[in-house]
Amino acid sequence: MKTRIREYRAKYNLTQEKLAELVGVRRETILFLEQGKYNPSLRLAHNVAKALHAAIDELFIFDD
Amino acid sequence: MKMKRALLAVGIIALVLIVLLVSLQEYYVAIALAVGIFIIGRRELWHLIRKRRLPPFDERVRQNMVKSARNGFIFFAVASALLMLFVTINLNYIANLKAVHVMSGLFLAGGLVYLLSYIFYDRVEPKLREGELRRLKTFLQVAAIATGAGVSSFILHNIVSGLVGVEEPVFFLIGVLLAPAAMGVGLVGSLVFFIKGLSRKQLPEIDQPDDERIQA
Repeated sequence: MKTRIREYRAKYNLTQEKLAELVGVRRETILFLEQGKYNPSLRLAHNVAKALHAAIDELFIFDD
Repeated sequence: MKMKRALLAVGIIALVLIVLLVSLQEYYVAIALAVGIFIIGRRELWHLIRKRRLPPFDERVRQNMVKSARNGFIFFAVASALLMLFVTINLNYIANLKAVHVMSGLFLAGGLVYLLSYIFYDRVEPKLREGELRRLKTFLQVAAIATGAGVSSFILHNIVSGLVGVEEPVFFLIGVLLAPAAMGVGLVGSLVFFIKGLSRKQLPEIDQPDDERIQA
């Protein structure tokens, strides 16, 4: 899984810590999400997408 | 909130144990415990110092904690089983301590089931129906609760018997009869569902909604 969270974060000039605060998770969770090392629940994906004003399928890209 | 309370409880218990260990002059164990607790809670501690509040316990942290608790249980079960076996062999109480053998076997079986659940749960989960999955979880919970109840009963039985001076019957019966029986039921039940899930190639068609089958 690839994500465009970093790209969108840069667009809105948000640090990982600030985004984590907005979503209500730890900074490490955002880091793992950006690296595609953690599969989020639908709720978390929705919250991240909402914080970055994007759709879920714009942020999370699946290879197959 | 539950996670924060659990963390606080672990911290307080660790602190009491460290004080107890220092008073018993077991300095190395106390240091090892303190270092272990510091390593486990370093992120929370750092966040607490920097922002004066605990960090959020999000879904990733919760999942990690569940995995750690499961690993801890496996370690505890295997270590207890080995300890019990060694005590039995060394003291040559084989004829008198049958309960120890039963408990050792159950602990080993418990460790095995939890090891299986840790390794194969992802493979078993999609192949079980919703009801079967619920029953598997219930059996695993029964086994885990019975283990805790059994160990606690043995400790409480010894404490009460030691304090009163008379052989205490309630905790003894729970520890020797009820807890092993419940643990046995939990383990056998979970194993049955595990084997069912592992041996099944795919979820039976009956689980599909009726409308979809009619359309197909």
